[in-house]
Formats: sequence, structure tokens, C-alpha cells
Amino acid sequence: MTAVSPAPPPPAAMMSGRYQRAFTIAVVFLVAGWHLAGAGGQLLHDRSAFGSFAFQGAMWLVMALAITAGSVLVLRAAPGWGPAWTVAVIALAASTAAAAASPAGQMLAVNWAWGSAGWTGVLVLLRRRFSELAWFLAAEAVATLGVQAWDGLHRTDLAGFLAVLAWSTGAQVAVAAGVRALDVAAGQAAAAAQSEHAARERAATAEIIRAARQSRWLALQESAVPLVSELAAGTADPGDPQVRIRCAVQAARLRRLLAEGDEVPGSLVHELHASADVAERRGVAVEIETAGPLPQVPGPARRVITDAAIAILTAARSRARITLATVTAGVAVSFVADTGAVVALPAAGEGVAIEEQQDGGMLWAEARWNSR
Amino acid sequence: MEQPVTAAIVEDHPVVTEGVASWIRSDPGQRVRLVQMASDLAGLRAATGPRADVVILDLELSGELITPQIPGLVAVGYRVVAFSGHSDPAIVMETLDSGAHAYVSKDEGRDHLVEAVLAAAADRPYVTRSQAKAMLADQRPSRPALSEQEQQALLLWFQGMSKASVGRRMSISENTVRQYITRARAKYAATGRTAPSKDALLARAIEDGVIKPGEIVPYDSFARIADGRPRPGVPGR
Repeated sequence: MTAVSPAPPPPAAMMSGRYQRAFTIAVVFLVAGWHLAGAGGQLLHDRSAFGSFAFQGAMWLVMALAITAGSVLVLRAAPGWGPAWTVAVIALAASTAAAAASPAGQMLAVNWAWGSAGWTGVLVLLRRRFSELAWFLAAEAVATLGVQAWDGLHRTDLAGFLAVLAWSTGAQVAVAAGVRALDVAAGQAAAAAQSEHAARERAATAEIIRAARQSRWLALQESAVPLVSELAAGTADPGDPQVRIRCAVQAARLRRLLAEGDEVPGSLVHELHASADVAERRGVAVEIETAGPLPQVPGPARRVITDAAIAILTAARSRARITLATVTAGVAVSFVADTGAVVALPAAGEGVAIEEQQDGGMLWAEARWNSR
Repeated sequence: MEQPVTAAIVEDHPVVTEGVASWIRSDPGQRVRLVQMASDLAGLRAATGPRADVVILDLELSGELITPQIPGLVAVGYRVVAFSGHSDPAIVMETLDSGAHAYVSKDEGRDHLVEAVLAAAADRPYVTRSQAKAMLADQRPSRPALSEQEQQALLLWFQGMSKASVGRRMSISENTVRQYITRARAKYAATGRTAPSKDALLARAIEDGVIKPGEIVPYDSFARIADGRPRPGVPGR
């Protein structure tokens, strides 16, 4: 039986991976935009305030390169500890150097680099442990405060420092926390979609199993159940050879019913083997030979053929040969067995023609399925 | 009484050699005399004493398929009856095409080996059921065209009927059944590569009136080349 199931959705990990990538791209744009427009704009606006505008420009470029490298890293995969911190430390160094080269007393007013360095840290440390980002932002704050202290720390400066710290670092922490929350939400959404699909698939499978059980139950109702009832009621005598033959036939049919559910290529051969099982256990030597590649025989036709096989094998005394050969537009399944007498074979049908010939103690029968 | 046919067996399993020897001994007419037993082809070549007419050859010696060695045996005048545990049609066809007279699977040995040896000694074909199966399964473009009667006789024989039963089924004599099957085999001998043994089989078939020279399809080397299957075992000499 072939399960007709809905196409599987991408695995949960892949789905949430797509969402996470979208968040990463958003952060890349945010950081690049900040550095170009925010930091770059401030640098140009205050260019006359710097002792060496060239040095500030060079630091801006170093920071731009760090952001570019960081973007490439995070877009490829979540960066490891080494690459992430290399980029972060370069950004921190550029920021500190830019701050140190600023005119004393105006450092905070003209500082363009603090924000950029913080955002670079957010970019590369976004999906690492939160404490790493916290350490980085703290180190940056300490470095900036250190430069400030070197220049001489005034109360107003300290207040300004705290204001910038609250504004800039607060925004960075908020973005990092927001992305984290979104990551978690994406994972949950993907897992939910996945489990919904799994539930649908389970239901479809259960339906297929139920239908197969139903058809088996129906098949047994008309054959095995009456026999078992008779045996139980005592109306059938297990000592009676006729009853024993009926039992053997039913045992072979049960075996075939099980084989019909198996997914095996060349299922006709498989089902014939199953049909032969019971006879073999009875001590009948059964050989099954196949000549050439066989076409696929539809289920109802297979059942007519295996019914004939069961009838003959049940009657076989010691040996039986089953052969399958490709013939024009079909398959010829033949049986040669020492049945000793003609066997009542099931009615032909479903495109299967049955012939038999008794020759001494040997029976020859052929079930020929024609696809036309 | 006629001189018995002399046979050699090349077989690397002593127990199988023993079994074959016992089948030959139990033949009521004592029509075959086993003159040599070898475990490989070198042993066969090295032997002295009376020369065997027919070599009963196990196709797998020391785990290696030796079909490519058959033309060499045929070239020095041996008639080869392949005796093998394999029943894969491709191997059977390969063996016959290499010039073996007959193919007997190990399951068929008791009933057919002695008869196959006798037929081979007379350059007459002997078609076992495993051989019939390989001929029925043959899908190669180079396969000969069999008539409907030949095809039917071959199918019924493969299915497991006795030749007498096949005759009754087809409403012909047992002898005609033999003719159909023999003719199918002769057509195979006429295709594929050439070998002295196949020429001998054909000549005998023509002599016996089984097949007419006109019925023989000319050797079609192109089809074999186009076929291009890799050969099992070591390359031929």
C-alpha cells in the first residue's frame, strides 16, 4: 500500500534557520547604516575639530572594514569565538584610538566611534552567549572612560559619559535582546509547523493501516472464520483429511494476506513464496524459478494466481515447481506438482486464464496473465 | 558393446567430485568412464593417461568464474559440459556462447549430468531446464529468432513437464518436442562468437535433420559488440 501523504515541509531547523538569517540581515543593515550615516555624518560634521582628520578617517575606514568582515562572517554561519572576537577587538581598538586622538575636553562631543564599535560588537556577538556581548560593551565603556580620565575627568564629562552610555549601549542591548527573542519565537513556530505535519502524517498512516486491517478482516470473514467456528463448535473434525486441507489452505491464505501488505519489488514472486511457506513446512519441496524480467501484475490478478498456487501446493505430496516466465503481453506462472489427482482450481478472471493437465501423478497448471 | 565415453572432471570441491563419480557409476549402462579428476585446469593439462572426450567443468574454481577459459579447452578438442551452482541466465548464456556443449546446474546433476555428457560426446545438444530458462530470459539483441513452437516447447520444458507431457500438451510426439528444443539450441550455436564446438553441434544438427542450413542466422558480430556487457572473471586468452 502506498501512503498518500502531504509533501513534507522543510525540517524545523531549516525553517527557523531562514527566520534567523532574516534577522541577521536586518542587523547587518542596521550596523552598516549606522556607521555610514550616523558615525560617518558626525565625523564629517566635526572634521574641523580634530587635530588630524586623516587619522580619524583612517580609523573610520578600519571600523568599516571590521563591519564588512563581521557581516561576511555572520552571513556565512554563526562565527566561532576566534573570528568574532578578532573583529570585535579591532573595532574596540579603532574606537579607542579615535577617542584618544580627539581634542581634550571635547572627546565626547565629537566621538563618532563609540557607537560604531558597540554596534560591531552586537553584529558579531549577536548569537554568542549574552555575557560575551556584555563584557564587550563594558570593556568599550571602560576604554572610553579611561581616555576621558586621561584627559581629566570633570563632573559634567561624567554626566555626559553616562548619558551616552545609557543611550548608545541601551539601544545595542535592546536590539541584541530583541533578536534573541525573535530567534526563540521562530524556533517555536517552526517546531509547531513540524509537529502539525507529523500529526497529519500519523493520521494518514493510521487510516491506511485501518483500511488494510478492514480488508484483511473481510477476507478472513468469508474463509477462515467459518472454519475456526466449525472447529470450535466441534462440527468440523480435525482428524478429517478434508478439514485438514481446508486448514492448510486457510493457513496459506493468512500467510499471503500478510505478504500482500509488504512493500517488496516483484511482489508476485514474494507472494508466491509466502503461499509456498505452509506447504514447505508440511515437507513439500517447493522450487520457484523466474525467467527474465517480469512486468508488474496488478493486485486482483495476483490474487487469482496465488489462489491457484495455494490450491495446488496444498494438494502437492512431496514436490512442486513454480515458474514465472515473461510471455507476449503478460506473465505465465506455471505449477508442476505431484498432486496425484486433478485439483479444483479457482475461477479465472482479472485477466488471468488458467489451464491444467493431469499426466500420471503429476499435475501441470498454468495461470497466464494478459495485460491486454 | 560400444566403447564408453571418457570423461574428466575439473572441480575444486572433493565432495562434489565424489558425487559426480557416484552418478556416473550408478548409470545402469555404464556408458561413461571417468578417466581423470583435477582440481584446476593446470591439473587437467598436466595429466597423462587416456584422454577424456568430455570435460565436466565446474565454472567456479577457487572462487573465480572461469568461463573465459572455455574457448581454450574447446580449441584443444575437449567438449565441455559446464556444471555449476550458478543459475543466473547471463552466466549460462556466456558459458554456451564460449563454446560449452551444455549447462547443467548442480540441482539438475543427478537427473541430467550423465545424459548431457553422452550428448556432448556425440556433438548433440542437451538442453537442461536451467539452459531453457536462460534462453527464455535472453533479451540480447543478438538472440536468434525462435519459432512459436520452439518457444512453446522450451517454455513447457522449463516449467518442469517431462518431454512426454510437453508432447501431449502440444499434441505432438515426444520426438518432435526434442527436435524443437534441439533446434532452438542449434540456433543459439549459430549466433555469437565462433567456436569449433559450436560448428560441430551445428553440423551434427544438420546431419540429424534437426535444422536446415538455410535456417541458420549468419554470425552477427556487430550485435555482440553493441551488447558490450562486462565479462565476469579473468579476461580470455
